[in-house]
Amino acid sequence: MAWNLPVEDQLVRMQRDLARAQKKNPPDIKWSMIIDVAKCIGCHACTIACVSENKLPPGVVYRPVLEEEIGHYPHVRRRFLPRPCMHCQNPPCTKVCPVTATYKNAQGVTIIRYERCIGCRYCLVACPYGARTSDFAEWYTKGTPELPGRLVGRKTASEGYESDPAAEYGKKWPKRGGGSPIGNARKCHFCLHRLAVGMLPACVTSCVGRATFFGDRNDPDSLVFSLLSSPRIHRLKEELGTQPTVYYLA
Amino acid sequence: MNGTIFKVLIGLAVAGLLAGSWGMGERLIYGLNPVAFGSYVPWGLWVSFYLFFLGLSAGAFLVTTMTYVFGMKRFEVIARLSAFTVLICLLCEVLFITLDLGRMERIYRFLLTPSFSSLMTWMFVFFNAMLVIYAIKTFLLARGDLVRWVGDPARRGRSIYRLLALGLTSYDASAWAREKRMVRLLSILSLPVGLLFYGTNGAFFAILMNRPIWNSALTPLLFIMAAILSGGALVTFLTFLFMHDEELIHGLGRAILFVLVTFLFLQAMQFFVGYQTGLAMTVTTLNLIAFGPYWYSFWIVHLLIGSLIPLILLTTRPHDSRAVAWACFLIVATFLSVRFNFVIPDLAIYKLDGLEETFFHPRLRTNYVPNLNEWLVSLWIVSLGLLAFLLGTRWLPVLSPEKEGSEHAI
Repeated sequence: MAWNLPVEDQLVRMQRDLARAQKKNPPDIKWSMIIDVAKCIGCHACTIACVSENKLPPGVVYRPVLEEEIGHYPHVRRRFLPRPCMHCQNPPCTKVCPVTATYKNAQGVTIIRYERCIGCRYCLVACPYGARTSDFAEWYTKGTPELPGRLVGRKTASEGYESDPAAEYGKKWPKRGGGSPIGNARKCHFCLHRLAVGMLPACVTSCVGRATFFGDRNDPDSLVFSLLSSPRIHRLKEELGTQPTVYYLA
Repeated sequence: MNGTIFKVLIGLAVAGLLAGSWGMGERLIYGLNPVAFGSYVPWGLWVSFYLFFLGLSAGAFLVTTMTYVFGMKRFEVIARLSAFTVLICLLCEVLFITLDLGRMERIYRFLLTPSFSSLMTWMFVFFNAMLVIYAIKTFLLARGDLVRWVGDPARRGRSIYRLLALGLTSYDASAWAREKRMVRLLSILSLPVGLLFYGTNGAFFAILMNRPIWNSALTPLLFIMAAILSGGALVTFLTFLFMHDEELIHGLGRAILFVLVTFLFLQAMQFFVGYQTGLAMTVTTLNLIAFGPYWYSFWIVHLLIGSLIPLILLTTRPHDSRAVAWACFLIVATFLSVRFNFVIPDLAIYKLDGLEETFFHPRLRTNYVPNLNEWLVSLWIVSLGLLAFLLGTRWLPVLSPEKEGSEHAI
């Protein structure tokens, strides 16, 4: 029996697709993500990678993996569905923002201007996928017993590792304390700060089952372009007309 | 209102402010961290209170409608009281919704970078329009008495009244006539603006797709009726407390009865259509209201105490002012449950199957119970509103019994 081993890891191909996209005029790029649910093993590595990459506090999650149990014992199966922001082409969340803090950028990524967001959470309510969460200033070390630090002071010693903010949107946010994004709505942004330096989103590179694909759907040579023609392709809650740019392979 | 009740109410308001200041302090220092709501139920008690006061502010709308649309000139005498009530309600309303913002210091963004595709922007626009209309209206209605008070040597704080009267020292018949015209104009203007304000607040929820109960054309209408019901009931109750005008109270009672029946009919339609449609998320939400953990707030607080008893009182004793006042008091006192049952159940269902099984955190759950901080902040705002209202009735000419005041009331 002959084994048809892949010629190259799909990550290598997507990396090549990304390098090609970076040479294009930015408005010509249309980012898309495709998730093969048949390959997802429910390891939650993407969720953890996302939390780590974006230094997400407790209660803020950009890419949970939904779990569903089907059938009755002993005939039971589990189904997993990673759910990033759908980056809809017709997003209900941007229309409701009263201060134009959230909008779609030229590449079709729905983003939030933290410094403009007033934290009304109307977008959280409007999103039919529950893809937005609010930052309620939670800390992992909240309630942890503290000992006085000898050199740097007790507060810095205990909370130091989570006080550094993420480099979201390629900006240097102030140390996590009272400023944004605390009090803001937060969501997946396709790791724009990584894309800007030629790296794939954290959830893509961390997927051990290679179930997540990412690239420019406007590029006919890209992996995502070829996958979009699959008959297995579908989108979540298609009937709402939101036209997500995150697709699923059933 | 007699002096003892007044003093008791002042005492309660001050005690509420003192007790609530703990919660306010926490809110101002720690932001939204102390609250119980999270990302799946992002709006809680404060938004319910916001809607509650939104409704109460509609009392003047009812009074103006009855005066101008139905030509019931008798209602003109409570214009001043109802306009002042609107101002207090708007004050409470704006405090609740501002404190609910995650970054309330950026509220100026509504002016700098507004998005007119958002109904929240329109709410902001109409809220300010209402505030301006009713502030000017209250001022114009009270200015005659303010000027008189300035000239009254027995009255204390005349310099403040002079300031409030904008330096006017005489107020003759021609000034009355001029201001009467302006008040009439403002009253007529307040009708479309008020309708848009209350309707927009309903549409704010109605346009949200995939929301089982909110996403309905019925919602804006329900909001307008709810506002007129609770606001009208409040004005009727206040008229009983401060003005003792039997005929007026009976007239208002009849209007409240009509609005109450209409509101209950619309609510019944909402349930009937929802259950008949049989959509899982709609049925789940309706079940949450009727049989969920807060079933008593629907059946006992809203339907029994806030609807059935007032209905019986208003139908069987329409000419008994005390009964009418009691009915209206019960409607107002229980109306928060209507707002709570509107806001929470629609949020308290997961948007995607399986979301409940992943990523456990209290902020990512749909079971919401308002915590002590939320109640204390609410107590603080309500107490502030009560104090401002009571002091206003004592130190400002919002209840002036002078005949002149009534004549140029609208």
